[in-house]
Amino acid sequence: MTITLVHYVVLSALLFSIGMIGVLTRRNAIGILMSLELLFNAATINMVAFAKYVTPQEITGDIFTIFIIAIAAAESVLGLAIILALFRKRETINADEMNIMKY
Amino acid sequence: MVETILFYGFAALILISALLMVFAPNIYHSALFLALSLFGVAGIYVVLNSYFLAGIQVLVYIGAVVVLSLFVINLTRRIIEADSDQHNEQLLPAVIISALTAFLIISAALKTNWGTMIAHRVAQDNTALTGRLLLNEFVVPFEVVSVLLLAALIGAIAIVAGDKKGAAK
Repeated sequence: MTITLVHYVVLSALLFSIGMIGVLTRRNAIGILMSLELLFNAATINMVAFAKYVTPQEITGDIFTIFIIAIAAAESVLGLAIILALFRKRETINADEMNIMKY
Repeated sequence: MVETILFYGFAALILISALLMVFAPNIYHSALFLALSLFGVAGIYVVLNSYFLAGIQVLVYIGAVVVLSLFVINLTRRIIEADSDQHNEQLLPAVIISALTAFLIISAALKTNWGTMIAHRVAQDNTALTGRLLLNEFVVPFEVVSVLLLAALIGAIAIVAGDKKGAAK
C-alpha cells in the first residue's frame, strides 16, 4: 500500500482541526499563538505534498513553505511581544480578560 | 514500504502530540508537546524528500519559536500558576466545529477525481534547486521577507521596551 497525496491531505486536515480546537478553547494567549503554529504546519504539509506529487520539477511549494516559516516566525515574535507588553499593563494574559477595547 | 511505515509513524507522532498539546492542563507541557509535534512535521518533510525544509523546520520552529514561547511562559508564569484553568467553556462547540471542518475537507479530498497526479512522485533531493530558485526566480520575495523580518525585530523591541521611563528601570 503506497502513500498517495490523499494521505497527506487527510493528515493536514486532521492537524488543522486539532489546531482549531486549540485556538478556540485555550484561555492563555500564548496557547492560542502555539495552536496557530499547528495551523501553519497543516498548511505547509499540504504545500510540500502537492509540490512533490503534482509539480515535481518546479518545487514552488517548497519555496512557499520557506516563506511561510519565515512569516510565521515574525508573527510569533510580534505576538509574544504584544503579550509581554499586555502582561505588564494588565497583569493577565488570558484572552477572555482582554476587554480593554470594550468601549 | 519504508515510506509507508515512516509516514504512519510520523503522522501518529504529529496527531497524538498535537492533541496532547491542545488539551494539556499545563501551558509549559503544552509548549513541549508542540515541539514534539513540529518535529513530526520535520519527519514528514524527510519522507517527502525535502531535507532542506526539515532542517529549517527544526532550526526555526523548535529552535526559535518554541524556545521563545517557553521564555514568554516563564516571564508570565506567576499569573499562570494563580489560576490553573487553561481552557474556556467553549470546548464542546469548538470540538463540533473542528470535527465538521475535518469531515468536510476529508470527504472533499476523498471524492475528488485526482486522475493520475497522485499515483506516485519523484523521489529526489531538491535542495540545490531550492537554492537556485530562491536566488533567481524568487529573489524579490526573498528580499521582501528579509525586510519583513527586520521590521518584526524592530517592532518587537519597540513594543517590549515601552516608554523611556519603563526602559530605564
